[in-house]
Amino acid sequence: MVETRRIALAQIAPRLGALDQNLGRHHELIDAARAAGADLVVFPELGLTGYQLQDLAAEVAMRLDDPRLATLAGRTRGLSAVVSFVEESADHRLFIAAALLEDGELRHIHRKLFLPTYGLFDERRFFAAGDVLRATPSRLGVGVGLAVCEDFWHLPVAELLALDGAQILINVSSSPGRDLAATNEVGLGTATSWRTIMRTFAQLTTSFVVFVNRVGVEESISFWGGSEVIGPTGELVFGAPLFDEGLFVGDIVLDDIRRERIALPLLRDERPELLGRELARVIAERAGLAPDSTAEPGSQDGLDVAPELPPGRPIGFASPPDPLRRRRRAAGPRSVKPA
Amino acid sequence: MPAAVRVRADGSPLFDLPPELSIDTDVARRVIGEFIRGQLRQAGFERAVLGLSGGVDSGLVAFLVAEAIGPERLHCVLLPYRTSSPASRSDAESVVAVLGCSSELVNVSPMVDGYFGPGGGTDAAGPGGAAVDALRRGNFTARMRMAVLYDRSVTWGGLVVGTGNKTESLIGYTTLFGDSACAFNPIGDLYKSQVRQLAAAIGVPEPVITKAPSADLWPGQTDEGDAGFSYPQLDRLLFWRIDKRRSVEEVVAMGFDPAFVARVDRMIAGAEFKRQVPPIAKLGPRTAGVDYLYPRRRPGSTRS
Repeated sequence: MVETRRIALAQIAPRLGALDQNLGRHHELIDAARAAGADLVVFPELGLTGYQLQDLAAEVAMRLDDPRLATLAGRTRGLSAVVSFVEESADHRLFIAAALLEDGELRHIHRKLFLPTYGLFDERRFFAAGDVLRATPSRLGVGVGLAVCEDFWHLPVAELLALDGAQILINVSSSPGRDLAATNEVGLGTATSWRTIMRTFAQLTTSFVVFVNRVGVEESISFWGGSEVIGPTGELVFGAPLFDEGLFVGDIVLDDIRRERIALPLLRDERPELLGRELARVIAERAGLAPDSTAEPGSQDGLDVAPELPPGRPIGFASPPDPLRRRRRAAGPRSVKPA
Repeated sequence: MPAAVRVRADGSPLFDLPPELSIDTDVARRVIGEFIRGQLRQAGFERAVLGLSGGVDSGLVAFLVAEAIGPERLHCVLLPYRTSSPASRSDAESVVAVLGCSSELVNVSPMVDGYFGPGGGTDAAGPGGAAVDALRRGNFTARMRMAVLYDRSVTWGGLVVGTGNKTESLIGYTTLFGDSACAFNPIGDLYKSQVRQLAAAIGVPEPVITKAPSADLWPGQTDEGDAGFSYPQLDRLLFWRIDKRRSVEEVVAMGFDPAFVARVDRMIAGAEFKRQVPPIAKLGPRTAGVDYLYPRRRPGSTRS
């Protein structure tokens, strides 16, 4: 029997700062998704509050024991929902959070790890960054991994979630559309970049990627939608149009994960111990707790290459010297240092 | 896919569009349409008003607003001064005729001449007397037009829509609290060449697109004559310097004249103040724009 799951992409335009109104919309769409036979309905980043909150963030924040969240969770009997809001911790930090609600309960919370604070973004000014990245079991029958927008612009996130057991990676976004050039595939540079990332992450983790991006306008910014589900082969399963608000439903075949992971066992061949070892080394070196073993002596921080080539041993190995490297160096230009 | 290019009868393009500036006009219309509707909705308005000069910038904005909310919700105000070109007025009227929107004509000459005195710049009766040059008069005229538009904003019950483009904003070819004053601006991130491209795509009458851009502050004046360079040339330079963050050395290596680059850089830096909200002396614990940071529109700020 072919195992399928029906996914509903809630590509909505939240009203900025209007928590009650947005909660109402979530209740309606969870019901609509259930009526459409969906197993999972996904809402965009900060779908309960809107994005450009600035000082409003504290005013719309909810604790995890907030009765409004419990009521919303109560609406999810018989299906899974991913919703996003401003979470206030007990020590009064504000996080951009995504929550997995299932069968009436809050099952998992992901706090946005990477807060863009450059260009048109100013998130770190108003929010704290999460410290935990974990996959979670779900009633969908496979592990899922939650990520929020910018989290997907950092390579290790998808890999860690997949290694931790996620077979469906869910990214919820409030991505502002920009770079409006005729040379891009859909006329919008942002959409092209995102599509490249989602296909790459889906293929390299041989997992489903569910991307839900909001629509609507806040201040100068227009959010472009274009929510999509990408299969483990990196191919589009189904998607929503750019800029249109709506609930978009499609099916995924879970067997596609097994098929692809056997045909292309990339995840089997991942080397987390290698990654961990080399990362531990780089962390120590960047903290100044160990000398930079891959840099030439006298090099500037982060450049690894010295202005002048010093004589001596090849970089990163005690012995024996690499004859090829020596020859290449000897042939290159060299300045003479006064003694 | 690049949009089809509108051409003249002889097959030549209507205007010069540098390839790197070409945009997807369908996406632009979609984004701008949502932007216009969003700005009005968040402010609690259903209507819009704008000053229609007969040029391509305000002509395009009129078309975009009409497309976004319907021409019946748009009011265009023609604001000629007595030296304004008659062609400007007929071009503006052609836009109104195509759109079928509401319009009116307000002659700003009595307001301007009432202050400076009649007789052009040579009349000694008004403030400054004979020293009243075209620039002072032009700036004053732009601010009188602003005053009319904000008054009509009340009578029409609509927000004032800005019509300034990115090129003129960057080089400072605007009047502070004059033509740059607005509730929101749908085309302020489009270079002049892109304004023309979008205007052609949305159906702005051809003469409005192809005529020489002019502030129409005195007879025969043209933007390009004032500045001494062409818009496509200037747009390309601004695109590479600002949007693509290329250094002076890099754009000179691309073939831009070093003197031209230096002059434009000075114009951009000299106009920084026109693009920003005036600073408030920081004294209290929470200061607007500094550490009191709210969205312009939030729950409770909608006009009721």
